[in-house]
Amino acid sequence: MSVYLSIMRAIKFTFQNILRNFWLSFITLTIFILTLVTVNAVLFVNVVAQEVLESVEERVEVTIYFQPEATEDLVKSAQGYLRGFGQVRDVQFVSAQDALDSFKERHGADEIVLASLEEIGSNPFGNALVVSTNSTDDFEFILDAIETPEYASYIKEKDFTDYEVIIERIDSLSSRVRLAGFALAALFAFIAVLIIFNTIRVAIYVHRDEIGIMKLVGANDWFVRAPFLLEAALYSLGAAVLMAIMMFLFLHFSQDWLIGYFGDSHADVNAYFVDNGPVIFLTEFGVLAVLSLLTTAYAMRRYLRV
Amino acid sequence: MIRLTNVSKHYGPDTRALEHVSLNIKPGEFVSIVGQSGSGKTTLAKLLFAEEMATKGKIVVGDWDISKIARSQVPTLRRQIGVVFQDFKLLQRKTVYENVAFALQVAGEKSKRIRDIVPQVLKIVGLHDKTHRYPRQLSGGEQQRVSIARSLVHRPKILVADEPTGNLDTIHAHEIIQLLKKINEYGTTVVLVTHDRDIVNSLKKRVISLAEGRVVSDIQHGKYVLS
Repeated sequence: MSVYLSIMRAIKFTFQNILRNFWLSFITLTIFILTLVTVNAVLFVNVVAQEVLESVEERVEVTIYFQPEATEDLVKSAQGYLRGFGQVRDVQFVSAQDALDSFKERHGADEIVLASLEEIGSNPFGNALVVSTNSTDDFEFILDAIETPEYASYIKEKDFTDYEVIIERIDSLSSRVRLAGFALAALFAFIAVLIIFNTIRVAIYVHRDEIGIMKLVGANDWFVRAPFLLEAALYSLGAAVLMAIMMFLFLHFSQDWLIGYFGDSHADVNAYFVDNGPVIFLTEFGVLAVLSLLTTAYAMRRYLRV
Repeated sequence: MIRLTNVSKHYGPDTRALEHVSLNIKPGEFVSIVGQSGSGKTTLAKLLFAEEMATKGKIVVGDWDISKIARSQVPTLRRQIGVVFQDFKLLQRKTVYENVAFALQVAGEKSKRIRDIVPQVLKIVGLHDKTHRYPRQLSGGEQQRVSIARSLVHRPKILVADEPTGNLDTIHAHEIIQLLKKINEYGTTVVLVTHDRDIVNSLKKRVISLAEGRVVSDIQHGKYVLS
């Protein structure tokens, strides 16, 4: 038999099967989609959790307060020195006057504090640098780096001690979220495998008599198998395409909601799915197709022994 | 045409469906294989189209020794033997036309030839006006005629009919037997497996009787002799 003729007949029988078993096809496709919805929901939650954690990490800053006698030039030189490190994301200079103004603004309603300032008579604040790093792990390195003979004697205080506990907690939370996300994804992937496996087996079981009859009238194994394999591949493709459309619509219509809850992070969540969309689509389609093809071939084996 | 030499079929150590069966069927014969339930007649039919494999002995169909046929060769054998089943074995989601055409499609026949042959065969069995119906829309007799049409499209030299009238009323059963006789008159060897006394007696053709897996009689122009 010519390969072309076989392929054309397999394609024809595939579409006949799908249309003439409409409800079975519909249910199979729906289950495939629901499985992908579950996997994508876990993925979405993981991405959002990561983005939120990173956003919190970005907001952690350490302030280095200098002695009042440290000149603006010296502090700006320290600023330049710190900016030279790759780990440093930004270093803001805060002048003594700015620090005083900011303090007054924050404690404007507290008369005792204001009275104390009046009692001192002069600006008790020195110049300061506000340092943010790419990762919270880098703070310790940066704060050690500033302890050079040139600057050490002018440093009055580093408020890292206050942040240390917060940073440790964020680090710990971050790794736990990553671990939990991975475990959850693995669990749902396992459930998805079982669901797909069972769905295909049920679909093939429904066709068991048909498979036997095809064999009895002289069909070889591949002629019987091909339409079922193509059907499984088409369900996988259909489910992956519909899931991608649903994900696009979800991200599009949930923009306001995401902005409301996550602020700037929402842009990163969207960007993640835009950047990784093709990879996610191909991976989901590929895994689903391989899984459903293997399951179909396995489920058909016993009914082909006629 | 068909030769069985000392054929046995065992299902495990305690179940012996056929025991030392030897018989020879010539080209163009119409042979009825009769026997009560459990006598081994359906097993014998299944051996002929390799749905079952013999435990011992030799089976030759045409010039082909199918006793040790390879799995990959079974489809080729089945395309050369027409088989009709008691439960019709039609593809329920294919139309009458598609069921018959399917037997040619699996053999790789070109579409044009299929379009030529199928209507002819459906005309022979009297279903040319019901080609687009699904099996569930047909009576039992009509479904069996589709099954016969499907078995004929290859123009097989042998037709094995396993209890083809088992699910039919007397009138439809008579129609099917007349059809099988007509096919036999065109030169096809027909092996009819049945336990219907009236049909066998009306045929007045060769009758092979089985009991407990053994051939107990083989009579030309015979009758149903088992009680």
